[in-house]
Amino acid sequence: MSKTYEQINEKIRAGKAVVYTAEEVIDLVRQKGAEKAAEEVDVVTTGTFGAMCSSGAFVNFGHASPPIRMAEIRLNGVEAYGGLAAVDTYIGATALTEDPMGGYGGAHVIEDLIAGKKIHLRAWGPGTDCYVRKNIDTYITLDDVNDAYLYNPRNCYQNYSLATNTSERTLYTYMGKLLPKMKNATYSSAGQLSPLLNDPHLETIGMGTRIFLGGGEGYVTWPGTQYKTNIEEVNGVPVAGARTLALIGDMKQMDAKYVRGLDITGYGISMAIGVGVPIPILNKDIMQRCAISDDELFAEMVDYSEPVNRPPMARYSYAELRSGKIDYQGRTVRTSSMSSLRGARDVASKLKDWIEHGEFLLNQPCLSFPTEVSLKKLEERGC
Amino acid sequence: MDRKYKIEFNEANVQDSVAYILVSEFDLKPNVLKAEIKGDGYGLMILALTGEESKLDAAEQRLREEGFSVKELGKRINRDEDLCWDCGACVSICPVGCFQVDKETAEIVLDNSKCIACSACVKACSVHALSISL
Repeated sequence: MSKTYEQINEKIRAGKAVVYTAEEVIDLVRQKGAEKAAEEVDVVTTGTFGAMCSSGAFVNFGHASPPIRMAEIRLNGVEAYGGLAAVDTYIGATALTEDPMGGYGGAHVIEDLIAGKKIHLRAWGPGTDCYVRKNIDTYITLDDVNDAYLYNPRNCYQNYSLATNTSERTLYTYMGKLLPKMKNATYSSAGQLSPLLNDPHLETIGMGTRIFLGGGEGYVTWPGTQYKTNIEEVNGVPVAGARTLALIGDMKQMDAKYVRGLDITGYGISMAIGVGVPIPILNKDIMQRCAISDDELFAEMVDYSEPVNRPPMARYSYAELRSGKIDYQGRTVRTSSMSSLRGARDVASKLKDWIEHGEFLLNQPCLSFPTEVSLKKLEERGC
Repeated sequence: MDRKYKIEFNEANVQDSVAYILVSEFDLKPNVLKAEIKGDGYGLMILALTGEESKLDAAEQRLREEGFSVKELGKRINRDEDLCWDCGACVSICPVGCFQVDKETAEIVLDNSKCIACSACVKACSVHALSISL
């Protein structure tokens, strides 16, 4: 038996769609089998809420009188891009102020905008015949600007390696604080709730998939940067970072609770975003893949004290990682997450709620993403 | 019973042995969690003490008489619940396991009683939700 997007949307419109989160559905499929469960379930909602550095926002400020072509732009002191049209900009999540250790960056500007706070805008331009003005100093809010939307080139990493540190000194990394001599290890994926672990070959996720992004509605726009497929799989799911998604969403719909600026000691600024992707249960195979659980999903541990190549040291299931400790060659290593499971559940539940109440319809992708991609290295050449 | 104290010294008593007084006179078991002495003779020690309640009370009194500033440490880690997003970055870096992931809710639960005031968690928190009061 199989269903179509249109059949599922009909049920959503009628308020009759049966929706489970990717965690809740595990037991159902175990009890009833994938075939029966696929008949019963229309949509499975996934969620993740973690640091996603490759994120940022396009903003159009509107024209002042007299107008300016902004070439250099600061938002609360954070550098924003001045290489677009006169009053367009892009502010990246990891952008910094003049004080690189100040603990405030692009992600915080985005969070503050979404929270409705006033943002200090300063900009400078060359002064031209059509844009005579050379500088401006004012305050803006999200309501004031014409457009503000997140465009995140790489979110929702499909799995991510577990980070540890075999060296003698503490490392401060984007995977958090890694204590010397492997006292701890940190992981990032939401595991059994994670969007791309539940649809590992992107059968239902592609360009145009409507999603939950930061508390509002968003869309998948493209394969994320560093998207790759040539990763070993266990139980049909990659054991290391593989596919990624580029996402877009209107900031005016978002909730600052799901878009958080992070100051990661020793690394810099990042942004935590809540992302939820609905998976339409079109057939029993898709149902079966959505039922994957933490004991069937694995991540490889790598040593962040290795500056260049980080060969996998060992492989652990997310069930082991979530237990708080793992064993590596007879020694106990404490484990913890860098992404919020509580937050991921919140996202998946909220999306479920929207669908159950007929407020969120599924969008069939208009383009599928590549099935065979490997990554290129940056070569250093003379010319 | 166990208690944790912050004991401050000054130039006049920095040479005195607090631990000796606690062991010899009150049969207490001290564990120095942190100790530092500044160039001006000011010193600070974070001490965990195990022993009978009455003796702990008496020892506290005795140290004060000796001119030490003695303050029992209650809640050491302060967490701003509005800022915390339950990411878990504090969990594995705590040497004594103050932070645990609640199995049901996936919230990060804080047990202040284990805290040894090492401050490791403060820098690990990406939203500056944690601070230590000594």
